[in-house]
Amino acid sequence: MSAQLRSELLKARTTRTAAGLLLCAVALTLLGVFVEGLSGTAAELARAKQQRLLLGAGSSGAGFFATFAGLVAVTAEFRYGTIRPTLLAEPRRRVVLAAKLAAAVPVGIVFAVVCLGLSFAAGLAILAARHAVVVLTTGDLAALALGSVAATALGAVLGVAVGALIRNQLAAVLAVVAYAFLVDAIVFAAVPSVGRFLPGKAGDALSGRPVDDLLSPSAGGAVLVAWTIALVALAAVRSDRSDV
Amino acid sequence: MGSVVSAVELTKRFGEVTAVDGLSFELEAGTITGFLGPNGAGKTTTLRMLLGLAEPTRGRALVFSRRFAELERPATRVGAVLDSADLHPGRSGRDHLRVLAGVAGAPPGRAEELLELVDLAGAARRRVGGYSLGMRQRLSLAAALLGDPELLVLDEPANGLDPEGVRWLRDFLRAFAAEGRTVLVSSHHLAEVAQTVERVVIVNRGRLVADVPLGEIVAGSSSLEDVFLELTAEPEP
Repeated sequence: MSAQLRSELLKARTTRTAAGLLLCAVALTLLGVFVEGLSGTAAELARAKQQRLLLGAGSSGAGFFATFAGLVAVTAEFRYGTIRPTLLAEPRRRVVLAAKLAAAVPVGIVFAVVCLGLSFAAGLAILAARHAVVVLTTGDLAALALGSVAATALGAVLGVAVGALIRNQLAAVLAVVAYAFLVDAIVFAAVPSVGRFLPGKAGDALSGRPVDDLLSPSAGGAVLVAWTIALVALAAVRSDRSDV
Repeated sequence: MGSVVSAVELTKRFGEVTAVDGLSFELEAGTITGFLGPNGAGKTTTLRMLLGLAEPTRGRALVFSRRFAELERPATRVGAVLDSADLHPGRSGRDHLRVLAGVAGAPPGRAEELLELVDLAGAARRRVGGYSLGMRQRLSLAAALLGDPELLVLDEPANGLDPEGVRWLRDFLRAFAAEGRTVLVSSHHLAEVAQTVERVVIVNRGRLVADVPLGEIVAGSSSLEDVFLELTAEPEP
């Protein structure tokens, strides 16, 4: 298992895919920081809610692209056929899946640390430049950071599970994009009492996004963990049964 | 001490199509066997079942008397190349070996040694997307050898190799078998097969049509090609 985990971590580092996705996450983070930090009035920026949006701007990009990193870690193996050499060396499918799930955690943490570090640093600089007093407490900031790290790591793990379920890279990417921008957003807008239990919104809650109708961060975290367990279980069954 | 490879009434159906149909054969240690058949005869499907990548619909596919998935450290027993395209184009040749080396049980330095062996040391840092077909074949072979296996299973390994590469592969496989190890190699290059293998297993439409020493086939005036075409001919309508 540890050999397979080392192999999976090395795979993530030996192509440019994960690094490219991290760059995309950084770009989205910067965009979020500038939108949240520069578009509003100074009075708005002094409010706790706006400061959460600004400093936590890294969580959206990190979560979205870390999910893709997890997705691609699996689907690239099917796309390029490397799943065959992988399974010839370690034919126990669940060991390979478990190693990929475990490897997604540090990948997600790296995404979150980079993006949150960036949105914290740039956000605090913008607040200082615009003479807004930081009203969030250290505890608030710690909860925001830790929640975002946890949500991003779970997002990467979910990406692995969804990738193992769908396998086809294009289909998996389209499914996640359609889910994130359509299903998640529409259901939450139409029926927030249901939509807040979807994994995307549960992740937003865990990340401490100040959006009305979201679950509490701890409840969001519990819901996201439940989604992760369910999808991992389905992925395990699928990977046991399928020919490659 | 059982057979190195044993297929027993091996059958694989994909929906209505029966790709492999009650196929049985065995391989003894220290031999090179050619696994021949027309396109779509079920060769690759059979190899996938032997290697635990596909589940038989019926029958058994055993290597070293066990199902592949039940082997301890399988890469130290079996090395296989099913498709030389099974490489990530964005990863370097060296990194392709590095990601597999630990799991395969390869000692440190084994990857470098194999890159030398397959003459890729100079291209090891380049990404595989820029490799020729022959280079991919050689890299895939190196990956199959990481665990220093006792059995090599190769699907069309000569595809894309230049004449020098073909000769090198032939000499390599002979030396490998001379150490008491076993090779199962599928191929369409009958002339090449006739120079390399000791035994041929020929399949057609998923069924076994011949399992004989090469010497018996080419003893008469007919060539392996004549026999192959005769055995795999489409029946007259």
